[in-house]
Formats: sequence, structure tokens, C-alpha cells
Amino acid sequence: MADDDTPSDSSLLVIIVDTNPNQRYITEDPKVLTNCLDAVIAFANSHLMQKARNELAVIGCHFHKSEYLYPTPGKPLDVRQIDGQYELFTLVEKTIKMRLVNLIKSQPPEEKPGESLLAGAVAMALCFIAKFRREATPGLRITARILIVTGSSDTAAQYINYMNVFFTAQKQQVLIDVCSLDKHLSLLQQGCDITGGLYLKVPSLEGLLQYLLWVFLPETSERTKLVLPGRGRVDYRAACFCHRELLTIGYVCSVCLSVFCKFSPICTTCHTVFKIGGPLPIKPKKKKMKV
Amino acid sequence: MSESSKSKSLNLNPSPTLQCKDLHEYLKSRSAQFLETLYNYPTICLAVYRELPELARHFVIRLLFVEQPVPQAVVTSWVSQTFAKEQAKACEALSELSVWQEAPIPGGMPGWMLAQSFKKNLKVALLGGGRAWSMSSSLEPDGKARDVAFLDAYALERWECVLHYMVGSAQTEGISADAVRILLHAGLMTRDAEDGSAVITRAGFQFLLLSTAKQVWLFLQHYLHTAEKRSLSAAECLAFLYQLSFSTLGKDYSTEGMSNNMLVFLQHLREFGLVYQRKRKAGRFYPTRLALNIAQVRGGGAAPLAAPAQARGYIVVETNYRVYAYTQTNLQVALLGLFTELMYRFPNLVVGVLTRESVRQALRGGITAEQIIHYLEQHSHPQMLKSETGGIRTSSMLPPTVVDQIKLWETERNRFTYTEGVVYNQFLSQADFVVLRDYAKQQGVLTWQNERSRTMVVTRHGHDDVKKFWKRYSKSS
Repeated sequence: MADDDTPSDSSLLVIIVDTNPNQRYITEDPKVLTNCLDAVIAFANSHLMQKARNELAVIGCHFHKSEYLYPTPGKPLDVRQIDGQYELFTLVEKTIKMRLVNLIKSQPPEEKPGESLLAGAVAMALCFIAKFRREATPGLRITARILIVTGSSDTAAQYINYMNVFFTAQKQQVLIDVCSLDKHLSLLQQGCDITGGLYLKVPSLEGLLQYLLWVFLPETSERTKLVLPGRGRVDYRAACFCHRELLTIGYVCSVCLSVFCKFSPICTTCHTVFKIGGPLPIKPKKKKMKV
Repeated sequence: MSESSKSKSLNLNPSPTLQCKDLHEYLKSRSAQFLETLYNYPTICLAVYRELPELARHFVIRLLFVEQPVPQAVVTSWVSQTFAKEQAKACEALSELSVWQEAPIPGGMPGWMLAQSFKKNLKVALLGGGRAWSMSSSLEPDGKARDVAFLDAYALERWECVLHYMVGSAQTEGISADAVRILLHAGLMTRDAEDGSAVITRAGFQFLLLSTAKQVWLFLQHYLHTAEKRSLSAAECLAFLYQLSFSTLGKDYSTEGMSNNMLVFLQHLREFGLVYQRKRKAGRFYPTRLALNIAQVRGGGAAPLAAPAQARGYIVVETNYRVYAYTQTNLQVALLGLFTELMYRFPNLVVGVLTRESVRQALRGGITAEQIIHYLEQHSHPQMLKSETGGIRTSSMLPPTVVDQIKLWETERNRFTYTEGVVYNQFLSQADFVVLRDYAKQQGVLTWQNERSRTMVVTRHGHDDVKKFWKRYSKSS
């Protein structure tokens, strides 16, 4: 694993793009999605431009499934240079656009769009990174990070899944960056804080590319040298396991540390039976020994 | 007093170590107009961008979409105060390569602005637009397409041909007069005084120890040098080279629309194995891994990401200084023999040992410890890459004792520092000596002095001054 201060040989970036149609900025004006996507693609290509050995993966996250937009699982598309763009960049752009169309087309028509499966997409990204590291040439220093670009609001429904992927990422030394397009996301912000990534809520969608290039393009080793937006205060409230609501005070199982908003005699996670609550038994005072 | 100007004509550096400039240094040594023409090619902009220091890349990408000059103070504020030195270095690099220029801002503050052509063409490379680099989109699929493995084998064979020629192996066919001329021009080989045949120089041996990517780049640098004399435009050649380096391995590209000069250049590249062409007039060519590696000279420290299967490492170094090399080629054995004492030779294995004598012999030949270590690292057997160094985290996969010892053997030779100087002695009186000595000391040109023998040594460039002073002094007294 690379040190933070030495620049790595190769840096792997996995971008997770939320394409859920019920995001507010898309329902207001569907064309904005194309603009955002263009910004993300330009950002992805600038990442590849940094170093010859930099690697890229893009995952599209929809409400019914998440899918790799780049690289393609099988043979890469046969792309020829059409203008002055670097061939690899053309390939990235073409592949992402084509696969995204497929992804959107594959959504079940009768179903009402639900919540984006972001936690699942992060898990996919972690798998990709693990596989990449396993297959890399020994001796190569690799840093990996994940960037989530989303306009969905975060709900506590996926709280446990989120926490699982965040702590896995922390253990794997994978940074999670989050770029929020619409609302403040307290859960994902926790993830950034846990893994040491950056969280940014973009003030205006027009300048998305500039924000991405400024905040999220620099590598870990470089970030210490730059002046970047601060962490700010992180909301560390946990969601209860019974109703998925964010709590400030609640009940915690003493065996498995599950959080509940109401007292229950049996822990639903580990099935531990608790004694009925009540005032704590007062210990009889010990008599002081006379010396 | 007599001054015996016995200037020691000691050659400070008996055999200069081979300099391998990277792209940055190469471009720095060229004129601003040359750079200006270069930045008209998106490929070069891309390559230059990758060669920039980390912070400089950050500056460029942030300024890329800004159409007006940005105050220098603003650029400074992007970097935290503790890294001001690196920031200055990054700014200097950008100015050196004229990637940005100073531009005044209406308020009177100095500002930075990216060079117009650089900005335009980097945008083209990144986002599209402009003209295609080659006419390959109109190419029909090749009936006899070649796969990556074939191209790797071909490139390796061609390049080894050049290397074999250098060490004078029996296998001397297949190298043209042009290639020989470049080797001679680069000082890697020299004409033998007696029969005029080319023989390898010390620099040549150092060249052989470099990584393949560096070898190719160095070779091409000298090619470009000679190319200018042959009315080939260096800018055009460089742009084409980088076009190759940014192409996809295993794809064919069309030669259509290439000028005659470039077709000649292509034939040369074909000879060195940078491109593959079935026939001279085939109308299409395949770039090989050698060409793709041009862009990666910088990261030469680590193992190549996608080394050709054939060129896998073959050297195992043990802590007892033994070197095992699984090889059959004479070239590799000869190279190992430069700095090891060969002990046994088996059909597929050579065993040698690194001794003080053998390493010192190499050092005497002008090879540096760094080069030896780098060669061993670069050709390490995959097994070496996997093995742990006993919990000690080192940057190298070689046993630390061996690395340190080789470095110690080198520093052992550097116990003397030589300075040229002029000896002043046989002063008639102590007072004269003291006056002259103090004057020389004051001027900062005194190297050594001894009061008892009334001898002092003055550096060469201080000699004239001290002499004049002495004449004035002896006249007045």
C-alpha cells in the first residue's frame, strides 16, 4: 500500500454516477443530465490524462440496478479517431454514452422509480478495486479512490449497507469522495469523513466541471499541498435498525451494538434477550472496614 | 618568490556518465519558437502536460477553461503556504516551457495566462474537435491483422538487433547505415582507428544498462538531432512520435496523407521496431509497445506496467551477493559480466557473484552504482518482486545489503575531490607570505596554505587576480 506522501505509479478512479430519473434536477429539466454527464466524462478523461498508467472505471447507478459503464466487460468497442481527440478519450466517451442508454432502456417501465442503489454501487466499486489490485504487477504502487456524483437525497433506509461499505473502504485504504448536486447528504458525508475523502455540495450545476477538476482531480498525495474546501461539521447521527430514522439518543444492544429508537426485550439482530428494564438495583453500601 | 603554475590537468570525470534527458529537459533546451510550433500539435500538448510536475498540472487544468488572465496572487493562494517551494518550482516549469505567459490584468496586477495554442490544442485532445491526427477512420479492416503478441515479439526482435549490433555479436545483419550513423553520432559507438569498423564505447555500455524505454527515447533524441540536418522537421517528427505513443496497441493506422518526409521517418521507425509494416507500400502500420513507451520515460523507476511477456525479468539477487540469471542470450550475459564475476554457466542459467573487484571495475569504466542497481531491479525475476524483504520496507526489491554495498563501493572511490590550482612558494619573507595569503583568503580563492613551508595554493580562476596584487605589492614595497 502506498504512503500518503509518495506519489503513486498508478491511480485508479471509480466514478459512480447516479442516473436515477427521480432526482430533482432531472425532473425539472431532463437536458441537465446530458450536461452533467458531459462534465463527468470530461473529468474522467482528465484523470486519464494525468498519468499514462492511470486507470478508470465508471459505474452507472439506477434505481433497479447498478452497471459498469466503462470498461465494458467483453471486448472494447472498436473506436476510430474522428477528430483531434485522443483515441482513448473517444473510447471512454462513446462507451459510457452507449452503455448508459442501454441501462436506462432496461429499466422496468411499470415500476415507479425508487431510491438509487448507491451503497450497492460502492460495493461494486470496491470489488473492482480489489480485483485490480490483485491482478496488478507486483511492486506497482496503486492508490484507489471512489467518486460518487449524485443528486438524490439520502435516506436512512440503506444506513447499514452504507456503513458496511464505508468501513470496508477504510480498511482497503480507498478514499470515498462525494459530489452532491442537489441536497446536503449527511450519511455520505460520514463516509467521506471515515475514509478521508472530500465532500462537496456543488453550489451551481453550470460550473460542475470546474468544481470536479478543482476538488476531486488531485490525487491523495497532492491534496495535502492544495487549499481545498474544509471538512466542516459532520453529522454523525446513526439510523435506528427498526425504523431507519436518524437518532441522537437511542438504545444500543450491548452484544452487537445495534441501534434502536424504542426499547425491545429481544435484539432483532442477534436475538439476545434483555432483562426487563427498570430502575437499576441499588447496591447495598459496603461497610467501611475499621482500621 | 616563484609561482609554479603546475595546474593539475586532472580529468575530473574520466568518462562522463551518459545523460538521458527526459522530454522536459529536451524541450527546455529548445527555443521558444520551436515550442510554439510544437504546441500546434495536440499530441505534444498532451505529452508535455503529462511531463509537468504535479502542481503544475493542477494549475493548467484549472486555467484550461478560463479565458482571461488570472492574477498571480490567486494562483499562489491555491497552494498551502507550507508548500511554497514546490509551488515556485511548478510555476518555473510552466514558464520554462512557455506553457503560460505573464499577462497584465487591468488592475495592474501581474497575471498568468496559458499560451493560446497550448490551451486550444490541449482542449482538442481532451474534449475533441479539430482535425484527426491521422487518416485512419477511412481504413478498411486488415485482412491479415496482427495481434499484440506478434507485435511484441517483432518489436523486441528489432530492438535487440540494434543492441546486438552494438556489442558486436555475430548477428550483425539487418541494421542500416542510418542506424549506425545515429549510434556514432550519439557517441555510443566509435570508428575503430585501424579498420574503420564501429566499436562500442563506454557510453555505449551504459546505454545498454538503461531500461528499454529510456534506450529508445535516447536513441530517438539523437535521431531528431541528425534529422534536422537531413531537412526533416524535428517538430513534425516529434509530433508523429507522440501520435504513435498515444495510439492503441494492436490497431492499424493509415499512412494516407503523410508527407514524403514522414514516410521516410516511418521507414526508420520500422527498422528499429517502433512500428510494424508488412510491406513498405502496405498503406497501414501498427505501432508496437516500444513506441507506446516513449511517453513513460519518467516513471522508469518502477517495473513497467505491461512488459512484453518475453522481456520478463530473469535475474535473482541473493543477500550473499550471488546473482542468478536465467538467460541464454549472449547480450545479457555480456552485460552481467560488466559488473559481476561470472562463476558458472549452464544452458539456461548463469551464476555470478558481485565482488568488490568486479563492481569497482565497472565503476572504473564509468558505470555508476545507480545504473547497476537499476539494471538489477529492472530485470528482477518475478519471484524477486513477490518476496518480502524481511519486514524492512524499501523502495527496491533487491536485498538492502547488496544495494548499500554497491553504493558504498562507489563512494569509496570518491574520497578525493580535485580542484585545479596554482602553487605559490619560495616566498622570501614570512611577511610577504602572510600578506599574499590573507589577500587570497579575503578573495575566497585560497585552497590550501602552509605557513612553515610558505606554500599556498590558489584556485585557477583566482590566479590572475592574486598575481596582479602580488605585482602591485612587490612594486610598492
